[in-house]
Amino acid sequence: MNFMAHTAARRIFGTAMAAAVAVPLAFAGMAAAQDYPSADETLDWTIAFGPGGGNDIMARSIVEILNKYDLYPGDIKVENRAGGSGAVGWGYLASQAGNPYGISTTSGSFVTTPLQADTGWAPEDFTPVALLATDDLVLVVNGSSEIQNIEEFIAYAKENPINIGGTGTVNVDFIVPTLFAQAAGFEFDYVSFNDMSEQTTALLSNALDAMVGNPGEILGLIESGDLRPLVFSGQNIPDALAGVPTMGDIGYDIGVSMPRGLILAPDAPAEAQEWWIETMKKVVDTPEWKEYIASNTLTPTVIYGEDFRTFLTKTKNGFEEVLKSVGAVQ
Amino acid sequence: MDIFSDLFMGFSVAVTPMNLVYLFAGAMVGMVVGVIPGFGPSAGLAILLPVTLGMDPIGAVMMLAAIYYGAMYGGTITSILLNTPGESATVASTFDGFPLAKNGRAGPALVMQAAASFVGGTVGVILITILAPLFGQVSRSFGPPEYFLLAVMGMLTLIVMIGENWKLGVISALIGFALGTVGVDLETGQSRYTFGSAELIGGIYFIPVAIGLFGLGELFYAFYNGLHRTGTGGIVQYDKEERFWPTAQDWISTRWTMVRGSILGFVVGVIPGAGATIASLMAYSLERSISKAPEKFGKGEMQGLVAPETANNAASSGAMIPLLTLGIPGSASTAVLLAAFLLWGMRPGPLFMEQNPELAWGLIASMYLGNMVLLAINIFAIPLFVQIIKVPYRILGPVVVVICALGTFSVHSSFVETWIMFAAGFVGFFMRLYGFSPAALVLALVLGPLAEEALRQTLTISRGSFMIFVERAPSLWIIGVTVFLVVLLPLMGRFGRGSGDAEKAGG
Repeated sequence: MNFMAHTAARRIFGTAMAAAVAVPLAFAGMAAAQDYPSADETLDWTIAFGPGGGNDIMARSIVEILNKYDLYPGDIKVENRAGGSGAVGWGYLASQAGNPYGISTTSGSFVTTPLQADTGWAPEDFTPVALLATDDLVLVVNGSSEIQNIEEFIAYAKENPINIGGTGTVNVDFIVPTLFAQAAGFEFDYVSFNDMSEQTTALLSNALDAMVGNPGEILGLIESGDLRPLVFSGQNIPDALAGVPTMGDIGYDIGVSMPRGLILAPDAPAEAQEWWIETMKKVVDTPEWKEYIASNTLTPTVIYGEDFRTFLTKTKNGFEEVLKSVGAVQ
Repeated sequence: MDIFSDLFMGFSVAVTPMNLVYLFAGAMVGMVVGVIPGFGPSAGLAILLPVTLGMDPIGAVMMLAAIYYGAMYGGTITSILLNTPGESATVASTFDGFPLAKNGRAGPALVMQAAASFVGGTVGVILITILAPLFGQVSRSFGPPEYFLLAVMGMLTLIVMIGENWKLGVISALIGFALGTVGVDLETGQSRYTFGSAELIGGIYFIPVAIGLFGLGELFYAFYNGLHRTGTGGIVQYDKEERFWPTAQDWISTRWTMVRGSILGFVVGVIPGAGATIASLMAYSLERSISKAPEKFGKGEMQGLVAPETANNAASSGAMIPLLTLGIPGSASTAVLLAAFLLWGMRPGPLFMEQNPELAWGLIASMYLGNMVLLAINIFAIPLFVQIIKVPYRILGPVVVVICALGTFSVHSSFVETWIMFAAGFVGFFMRLYGFSPAALVLALVLGPLAEEALRQTLTISRGSFMIFVERAPSLWIIGVTVFLVVLLPLMGRFGRGSGDAEKAGG
C-alpha cells in the first residue's frame, strides 16, 4: 500500500515537474523516439514470484531507483503474479505481445521452468532489455572438515565417494557442481533439498560432505567459521568471499550462471527496447544499484539487448543438455 | 545473571512509546491475518515487509514478529467457530475446537485457546531466553536421517487420527499419500502427475486441501442436513450469559496439557522445517494417546484443543532459535524475517546475537510483551467474534464459501489452488458423509512428501545403507523418544489409572 502511494506521489510530482519544464519546449520538435514512454500510460510491472524473494527484491530495487531519479515519467504498477515457478507471471507477460508497457525481471526459473513444463513460452520469445547480474554459487564444507581448500577437496573426491547438496535438481545448484566435477575429473552423489535451510543443517550435522549455495544466504555461517568456502562459480569474487578462488582461477571455468535481467513482452516495439536499454545504463550506474549488488552478493554482469537473447539461448541449451543427460527433463 | 542483564537491556530497548505502537499494530494485523483462512503469517509478513523498510529496525522487527505470533492466536478462531483452519498450524485445533462450539461451548473454547496460546508463547520465549545456545545445537544436529525419523514419528500419530473406522481411515491416509506424490520428484527432477501443468510442478499444497476438506466439507454437510432452513439457528449454539468463561474443570483438566504442549511444541519448533503444523498435530495425538478417556477426543474435549494451541504457539517461538543462533529460517514466516534482516544490512548467523545484541534481545523482550498484548486483545475480541455464530446459517454459509475462496487465492494468487480447494470441499463432504477421515488425509499429505524426500536423501548420503539411522546420535535420540511415547507411555498410563482417579476424587 505504502509502496503504491509512494509511486503515486512520485507520479504527481513528476507530472508537475514535467509540465513545468515541457510546456515552453512543447514545440521544440518531438522525435518519434520521444513518444515512448508516455506519461499517461501505466507501466505494468510483473513479478513472477511472491513478495520477499530474490526476484521480488530485485524488481522493487529497480523500481525504487527509477522513482528516485525520476527516470520513468508515468505511473508504475508493480504486481506479484506468483505460481508455477514463474510460469504464471511470465505467461501473463507473454500474453501481451507487442505491448511496450509490460515488463518483468528474470531469474533462474525463467530458463528452467519452460524445460520442465508446457509453459507456452520460451525465454528467447521475450524482448530482451538487459542482463544485469548473475547469481553464482559457492562450494562449502563444514568448518570442522579436514578439507582446507579446493585442491584438497578435488584430491579427496577423486579417491573417496563424496556427496554434494543443493536446492532442487532442475536448477543451477545441480548443473554447476555437475559441470565442475566433469571438468575437474571427479564423481559425486548429488543430494537434492527443498530449501537452503534443510540443506545447511544437513551439512552442519555432518550428514553432507559439501554443498553449493548462494553466498548471500550463508555469509553469516562462513564468517563465524561454521562453513568453509572452497570455490566460487562466478567470474569475480565478491568482497565478502575475498581469498576464495573462482572456478576459472583453478582452470575449470564452466561458464554457467543464473541470469538476473529485464525483459519486455514479446515483439515489443524497438523504440521501447531502445529506451529501456538506455535507461538501464543509467540505473546500473547509481550507488543504490551497486548497494543492491553488494548486499545480495550478485556478480555484476551487464549485457544489453539482442546479446542478452543470445545469452539466454546459450544458457537454456547448456541447461537442457545437462538435465537431459541425467533424465531430469525429456 | 548475564541472561537477566541481557533481557533487561532488551526491555529497555523495546519499551518505547513508538515501539509499543508498532507491537500493538503488529499484533492486531497478525490476528486479522490469522483469522482469514489460508492467509497465514508468512503471506502477511511478506506483504508488510516493504512497509517496514523505512522504519527503525528494532520497531520493525518487533512489528513483524508480532504479526507472526499474532497469527497463531487468530488462526484458531475460525477453526473453532467454522471448522475452517485459519492457517496450517491450526488444522489440529478444529478436531476438538469445533465440536466444543457445536456443544454450545464456543465462549470457553475461545478463552481457553487464547490462554493456551499465551502459555505456549510465553513458555517458548522463556526457553529462548535461558536456553537459546543449547537449542541452537539441537537445530544444527538435524540432517535427512533425523527428518525421516521425525516424519515417521509424525505418521504414528496417523493411528490416532484415523478414527473409529480404521479401514476408511487407512483409505483416507492413502489418498493423502497419493496426492503427496504430485509434483517434481526432488531427486531426479522429473515431473510426476503434473500433466504438463506448470502450476502443479510444486506439488499439491496442503492449505487449499485442508480449507476445502474441513471448511467447505463441513458447510456442505450442514446444508445437506438442512441447517440453512432452520430460520435463525446458527451453526453452533452459544449462550453468552451462562457460558462465556471456562469452568474450573477446564483449567484443572488442561494444566498438564499446557506444560506438555509447550515443551513438545518448542522442541519441534526448534527443528528447521518441522514447525508449528507438525508440532500441533503431534501434541494433539500425544494428549489423546496418554488420555484416560481417549474416546472423548474429537467430540469436544478441552484437552484436545489446548494441546495443539499451546504447541503451535510454543513452536512459533521455537522457530526463532535457528533464525537467531544460525541465521537459518525454520519456517516460511521466519524466512521472511530473515529477508528483513538482510534488507537492513545485517548478517544473520552464529554471531548475530553477539553483533546485534540490542536487536536480538529487544526482539526477545518484545515477545513477552506481545503475548500479553495478544491475550488482552483476544479476551476483548472474543465477544465480537462469537457474534459470527449468531448469524443465520443461510447468510453465513455463502459468506464462508467466499472467504474460503478468497483466502485460498490470496496465498499464491493461484486459480488452480482455488479449484483444488473447491474439489477438496466436495470430497470432504462425501468423506464426512461416509465416515472417512479428512484429518488423516491432510496429515498424510503433509508427512508423505517429507518422509519420501528425507528417506531418499538419507539413502543417497549413506549409499544405500540403513545403518545410518543407528550411527548418528540425534537419530538414536528420536528413536528412543518414539519408543517411549508409543510403547512405554501408554503402558504407564494404563498402570497409573487407579492413582489418577484417586487424585481426582481427592481434588
